[in-house]
Amino acid sequence: MNQPKRSDEPIWWALFSAGGVCFAVMIPGLVLTLGLLYPLGLLPEAAFSYSRVQQLLQSFWGLPGLILAGTAICLPLFHAMHRVHHGLHDLKLAKGPLTKVLCYGLASLLSIVAIAYSGIIV
Amino acid sequence: MEKTIIIQRYNPEQDQAPSAERYQVPFDHSTSVLDALLYIQQQLDPTLAFRWSCRMAICGSCGVMVNKIPKLGCKTFLRDYPAELTISALDHFPIEKDLISDMAVFLDHLQAVKPYLINDSKNTEPHRQTPAQLKKYQKFSSCINCGLCYAACPQFGLNPEFLGPAAIVTAQRYNLDSRDQGKAQRMPQLNGKNGVWACTFVGFCADVCPKHLDPAAAVNQGKVASATDMLISIFKP
Amino acid sequence: MPDSAGARRPYLQPLSRSWWLKHSFFLRYMLREATVLPLLFFCGCLLAGLYSLAQGESQYQSWLAFMAQPWVIALNALLLLASFYHAKTFFELFPRVMPLLPAPLMIAGQWLGTIAVALLLLWLFGAIG
Repeated sequence: MNQPKRSDEPIWWALFSAGGVCFAVMIPGLVLTLGLLYPLGLLPEAAFSYSRVQQLLQSFWGLPGLILAGTAICLPLFHAMHRVHHGLHDLKLAKGPLTKVLCYGLASLLSIVAIAYSGIIV
Repeated sequence: MEKTIIIQRYNPEQDQAPSAERYQVPFDHSTSVLDALLYIQQQLDPTLAFRWSCRMAICGSCGVMVNKIPKLGCKTFLRDYPAELTISALDHFPIEKDLISDMAVFLDHLQAVKPYLINDSKNTEPHRQTPAQLKKYQKFSSCINCGLCYAACPQFGLNPEFLGPAAIVTAQRYNLDSRDQGKAQRMPQLNGKNGVWACTFVGFCADVCPKHLDPAAAVNQGKVASATDMLISIFKP
Repeated sequence: MPDSAGARRPYLQPLSRSWWLKHSFFLRYMLREATVLPLLFFCGCLLAGLYSLAQGESQYQSWLAFMAQPWVIALNALLLLASFYHAKTFFELFPRVMPLLPAPLMIAGQWLGTIAVALLLLWLFGAIG
């Protein structure tokens, strides 16, 4: 057997793993409060008010905003697109390098947008 | 007491594809699938072809699909199945005849990871190993090369170039051995897209392994090793 | 002597696209992989939220109204279930990939992390304390 070329997969796998931790640790609490309890009127009206959310995200030099973007958007996106990429292979729908570029390209693009907007409101 | 054994038969000289044939086989508490196959071959149909040797789950020759799950015939018992069970050749390998698969792909992959101790030392003293050093690789050392994990692995089914569970387990087994110096020669195989990175941790290999050595864990620990190897190569070109 | 190479005619059944429907183990695997679908939707929601926040208060209010639509709440309820299933599988795989401590200890520790973050967020947004 010839010596194969080193795969770049460790990069995507590291992002996938970090995103998997965020999905398991951050997302349940976040979707419970922001996605379910608040829209159902089970939290105080002011909990997600415009001024309060802005103030929360901008406190401590905008770190909470960056942490939210990183752990609830960017890393989960890389996690999700990694599974979509391999899932397409599992379903025999992957089209060579194109699927990979589209999957990780989308995750990268949306991550940049998320970080930019977490910074704009700071 | 009898059970119905349905066998997927394939005769390369006559058939286009495998087809099912039914046999009535007497059984008791101790009748294994291998015993049933031997009964069929000796009493009912001498043309039935299958591999077997040790009858005690160490030679790894009698792997077949029993009700679509990879099993060793000698370690699987009729008593655990309903009145009918279906036996076919291992998934993902080409079928030569009846239950005999062509395992050449697996053996090539196994050979590619250099499954033996590599040690340049001219030292003729015994290579001493502490119990702690032994413990590092011992759990991965009991592979019998039966190929059940390949029949369980959809990634190998989708991509036969994937090195596969047993080859990667064995690479890890030697990489983790304190007497071995061959890691640098094995890592390039694991680092490639058909090495550890073709695995998506389906994990079925660990369920079917007759030696319970968790090949899925070995492959995914191989991912950590490969990622580390990549980092080292960046900082130490 | 018969030509042994010529007599060989190995039969290989290619894996069908629906291989994962063949038994429950593969079905559970595909379910695990599919947990990312509601996650993708929620990431999109959060991204839209950050964008609306930068656009001003009225934009943000209409984003909150969007989040309160029944079908959005339903998808997010699905995500909550998916995140628990993902967490269960992910936490169980982790000790096998990096066996640092006994597996039950590592699994319990990770669940504690999930619970702590949920409690922190519930406290922050006024559900408790």
